[in-house]
Amino acid sequence: MMGRTIFIDPGRCIGCQACVSACRECDSHRGKSMIHLDYTDEGHSVASLPTVCMHCEDPVAPCAEVCPADAILVTADGVVQQADTTRCIGCANCVNACPFGVPKIDLQAKLQMKCNLCYDRTACGLAPMCATVCPTGALFYGTAEELQAERPGVQIADTFTFGATEVRTGVAMVVPADKVQWPVPGGLPVVEINGKDVRR
Amino acid sequence: MTADPRADDPRRAVPLDPSLAPPGTRAFRDAGGIPADRWHADQNGETLVPTHCCFCGVQCGMYLRVDRGGKVFGVEPRNHDINRMRLCPKGVNAYQQVNHPDRLTAPLMRRSRDEAFREASWDEALDFTVSEVKRIQQTYGNDAFGVLGGASLYSEKTYLVGKFARVALKTRHVDYNGRLCMVSAAGANKLAFGIDRAGNPFSDILLTDCLLIAGSNVGECFPVMTQYVWGARDRGASLIVIDPRETAIARTADIHVALKPGTDSAFFTSVLNVVIEEGLTDEAYLAAHTTGWDEVRAKAAEYPPSRGAEICGVPAEQIVQVARTFARAPKAMAWHARGIEHHSQGVENCLAVINLCAATGHIGKPGAGYGTITGQGNGQGGREHGQKSDLLPGGRSIMNAEHRRQICEIWGIEESELPPAGTSMMEMVWQMQRREIRGLIGICNNPFVSLPNYGVVKEGYDAAEFHAQFDFFLSETAVNAHVVFPVTTWAEDEGVMANAEARVVKHNKAQDPPPGVRTDTWVMCELARRLGAGDKFAFADSRAVFDELRIASAGTVNDYYGITYERLEETGGIAWPCPTIDHPGTPRLFEDGRTYHPDGKIHLQVVDWHPPMDPYDDEHPMSLTTGRTVAHYLSGNQTRRLGGLVEQTPRPWAEIHPSHGFRNGEPVRVVTRRGSEVFPALVTEAIRPDTVFIPYHWPVPTAANALTIDALDPRSKIPEYKVCACRIEHAEKIDEVPAPPVAPGHVAYPEAQVSRTDPRPPTSPQGRGTSERG
Amino acid sequence: MTEPPEAAAAATGAPAPPDPDGAGVPLSVTFRATVAGVVVSVLLILAIVFGSRLLENFDSALLPYAVATVFLAFGVAYRYTVWISAPGARRLFRQGWRSFFSMANFRKAPTALPKMIATYLGFQKFLGARSHARWAAHQLIFWGCVLASLITFPLTWGWFTFTSGSGSGPGYEMRIWGFKIIGFDSLNVLGWLMFHGLDIAAVLVIPGACYFLWRRMKDRGAITGQRFAYDLVPLIALIVISVTGLLLTFSSIFLHGGGYEFLAILHMVSVVFTLIYLPFGKFFHIVQRPAAVGMQLFKYTGLQDQEIFSCRRCEEPIDTGPYVENLRGTMRDLSLDFDEWAEYCPRCKRVLRGSAYLSHVKKGFK
Repeated sequence: MMGRTIFIDPGRCIGCQACVSACRECDSHRGKSMIHLDYTDEGHSVASLPTVCMHCEDPVAPCAEVCPADAILVTADGVVQQADTTRCIGCANCVNACPFGVPKIDLQAKLQMKCNLCYDRTACGLAPMCATVCPTGALFYGTAEELQAERPGVQIADTFTFGATEVRTGVAMVVPADKVQWPVPGGLPVVEINGKDVRR
Repeated sequence: MTADPRADDPRRAVPLDPSLAPPGTRAFRDAGGIPADRWHADQNGETLVPTHCCFCGVQCGMYLRVDRGGKVFGVEPRNHDINRMRLCPKGVNAYQQVNHPDRLTAPLMRRSRDEAFREASWDEALDFTVSEVKRIQQTYGNDAFGVLGGASLYSEKTYLVGKFARVALKTRHVDYNGRLCMVSAAGANKLAFGIDRAGNPFSDILLTDCLLIAGSNVGECFPVMTQYVWGARDRGASLIVIDPRETAIARTADIHVALKPGTDSAFFTSVLNVVIEEGLTDEAYLAAHTTGWDEVRAKAAEYPPSRGAEICGVPAEQIVQVARTFARAPKAMAWHARGIEHHSQGVENCLAVINLCAATGHIGKPGAGYGTITGQGNGQGGREHGQKSDLLPGGRSIMNAEHRRQICEIWGIEESELPPAGTSMMEMVWQMQRREIRGLIGICNNPFVSLPNYGVVKEGYDAAEFHAQFDFFLSETAVNAHVVFPVTTWAEDEGVMANAEARVVKHNKAQDPPPGVRTDTWVMCELARRLGAGDKFAFADSRAVFDELRIASAGTVNDYYGITYERLEETGGIAWPCPTIDHPGTPRLFEDGRTYHPDGKIHLQVVDWHPPMDPYDDEHPMSLTTGRTVAHYLSGNQTRRLGGLVEQTPRPWAEIHPSHGFRNGEPVRVVTRRGSEVFPALVTEAIRPDTVFIPYHWPVPTAANALTIDALDPRSKIPEYKVCACRIEHAEKIDEVPAPPVAPGHVAYPEAQVSRTDPRPPTSPQGRGTSERG
Repeated sequence: MTEPPEAAAAATGAPAPPDPDGAGVPLSVTFRATVAGVVVSVLLILAIVFGSRLLENFDSALLPYAVATVFLAFGVAYRYTVWISAPGARRLFRQGWRSFFSMANFRKAPTALPKMIATYLGFQKFLGARSHARWAAHQLIFWGCVLASLITFPLTWGWFTFTSGSGSGPGYEMRIWGFKIIGFDSLNVLGWLMFHGLDIAAVLVIPGACYFLWRRMKDRGAITGQRFAYDLVPLIALIVISVTGLLLTFSSIFLHGGGYEFLAILHMVSVVFTLIYLPFGKFFHIVQRPAAVGMQLFKYTGLQDQEIFSCRRCEEPIDTGPYVENLRGTMRDLSLDFDEWAEYCPRCKRVLRGSAYLSHVKKGFK
């Protein structure tokens, strides 16, 4: 995990999409929003989940690994950058390989785009746009110590399970203190689709 | 480029360009509608102008980014202590209004509603307006002309609206759209405390042990305030939410009371019953600081939890649980908003909450208290300085002879010249219908969307012989007017607003208005001059008005005298009362246990529940309730033009429980005694089965307010938006959202309107998920 | 500056990729890349020797340039081999060529490939979707470089000769590999164009490169994560080459050769540097770009066969079936063992993760 990073707490998220609008205001995104906001409990509750790039550390950036054009650079500070415009061929490998469903693609421009942790801001000490404006702290930018000072009794988890595979990330989730040892479930294996049990 | 004609299936031409990617990975709409080429992020030097958001009553601080050419082009979060850099989606997108292509830049005019608008010169439009005012007033009397103001105006301008109506037009008929917002709370506050504002600052929420939020979808209507709610919970506070819908804050609350709409006073009186029965009252506090307790206690005895449970449709245990949690907490706070105020007994509902707070002694302490969350940017400030039909500047009463004398002295008029109290906004519309009011100037409001029972509103406005409207976008109301004056946005003028904490904050001017646009102040002063009252309206700018406002409020409860622009710029906001230049302001009220009544006591009032005004019957068995969604603001005239917000929530919907057998997105006709409209169904378990919710930001034929009832609270005159009887039916076709009106020869900025005609409901009440956008 | 055709040549010169299933021990990538580099360099040297009629037409003054092109050939072949040895590139490379050589494809859509090459490689339509200004600037640079390469490379290798029938003009004839192609008068328009082709190229390149340089100073999006060696050096190199080239002409026409020698050396140094830098920096995209056509052809083939793969949860299309299969293979090659996850669309991945968090970690605030 990086020193200063984003911590995501879906339990605090009110689904207002301030992050979605704010993301557009970051100069490095050229007016395009990279963050995802999904309502994960549709029809039952208003629960929501913001998804920024998790900046995978182990394995290092699956998106960069599957890229046929070496277009995705991981900088020394652990930030997985968006595709290099000169190299990206728009094949969408990263879009479909990312276990968190993060990258977006502009088919006409043959260009992948994704959250780069507002590199223009974080590189000079400012928080990313989404975590700056988030009205609830569902997206928090800082160190783990800063987070725990503000929210006594929370722990963080930076490992996700996808079936038998574990992915350790640079961005972490907030979890209740008694569940800190758990890797956070990543959603795979899928046990149910549209109410039907699909376990084989 | 298309595929080769000899491809397998000529009907299904495969495009040569890449065309396949998963949903939600390729919807790039730039900067909320500005094409990528016009997105400037050039490092040419920029200025950050500190100001506040123009939208809700939280008044978040923000910086507007101004380029070298002096144009606002972006927003930067600001570490102001109200919001600590946080912004909601409306706030982030607010700057896009300033240089928006839909802006009005020349006065529009026509002599009759049969004609089309044409652009006119300022002189022509002003002269025509003045001649119509004179004609109507000479024929039908001064009171035949009315003025309706707005609570999104700076306080200076709201002061000017009241003065303009009473001094320049000499009419009693002046009111404002805050009448549709929080006047019930204002009425209750005045009755109980003798002062009309929230008792505690937001920061007190962080100190509380129990936070009760009644009828407020904080997560959507005041998103940035959520940080205080969560902050309190981080520190161990319990959260009680009273709301028929499971909103974002209700979803995770310790107790969520999903009561039936229109039963709030029964609920709170029942809670008070339990508090009394279980001996949880603070008798010492009641004895020392209240009057009327015996009567209130006697009335509460009639509301045991069993009765409360029956009326409200909630389990009796929940009422007991709320009572214990709230009363046993060392420090507890209650905040409420439109959910309990928009009722024909809105004042009683608020009084019931005050009774509960007073009975448990949770008043006037750090972390313990009571407040209303104002919905409009200047909802607090807008009601203080005399644009309300019964109030004069400084919260003075127009019925009080002493108050009248003071204001006449300040304004330099004879007391006989000052008109008596007028009527409320909805009543003025009824008077227009009856042709008692024949001319109207509307400033900063859009009643065609915001007033209940659209049919009556349209009829009333159509009956007016002359109607002028001030706005910066052509609203649904303005499009029905004779004259439209193009005025400034909030970023093109300076002024103050008071937020929900009664903290006065200063908005700064970030750019010059576009050519052809004038400030509301200038237009009002110019009209006054042409009406022959120029000497009373010699204001060069907001600062001059504010200086008069300070003097006009000096010595009153709403004392602004010690607040100056300079102090506001130095401090980031001062809460009134602030009587002297060295006074620090009053963030928390009643700390010494004294209220602003002459006896210093809280005047408790007896509250008795009665059913809503629109009766249920077999034809109309369900409750229709209305409210906001996070991406839009009030009548939507501003937010329905901003691409990012339209994309988030392109259209209204009807929120219904799955038990009615509708599938998500299916057309559902909502029928009330006033009309019927077809919306896409948003089927969710997060609403009571007997309740339907429709957001109200859109105009007919998708207007919630074409269905709502124009019944008023007898004291506050607030309409009963939050409950009326309805039924739902299957329907064929969903009503389409019309494009926002624009000046003749223009089209509503197409880039921002792309998703408007999409018939699907949002994924969740907060809007479309980022992958569900068309 | 190389062009796509050369990239293709380099590609065919590369050894066959190893068995994708990893059976047997593949030769080390470095070794293979080195072999590829040496083979291509030797082929180029032979081409120079024979193309210049056993160096008869070879201009010894251009020797440094020729040597640099040999290094360039080595570098490109080496880098290319390393590049396509990575699983992602290797699999797409194979699929791309498979679609390219498919007779069935050609019969179904004979014009698809030429059209793709024209729009993606020639007119670079996708750049227009990013920004019109960048597209215009890139087109200037692109065509300038194409023109310059077509003139200079054969000249350097001694493949072109211009001979004068009368000793010193104005009648000239142009020969390739010694065969006469056209004769022209150096004083007419065609002649002027022939002799000033490089100046025209420079005039095209300079404004394009200057626009990009200006943008790299001003545009915050471009500045973010910008690296001097990767992003600015190529632009500076292009500008230096073009300006010194123009100054050479200026010197010979107006200064009677004043400063010519210094300029010639500066020009040569900058060109040699650029050629050697090409495989290792930003310019490598010139070699990589044709992969976009291969990728697109592969997906286009799948689409034509109506092999659309839909998300297993929401049933919205993800991409073509062969593409998803190819991606899953790539993920397995890389030991990313959640390749099954590629059968779900990104939104469903997020929603499923969100539901898992709600049900297994915490439902709400606590």
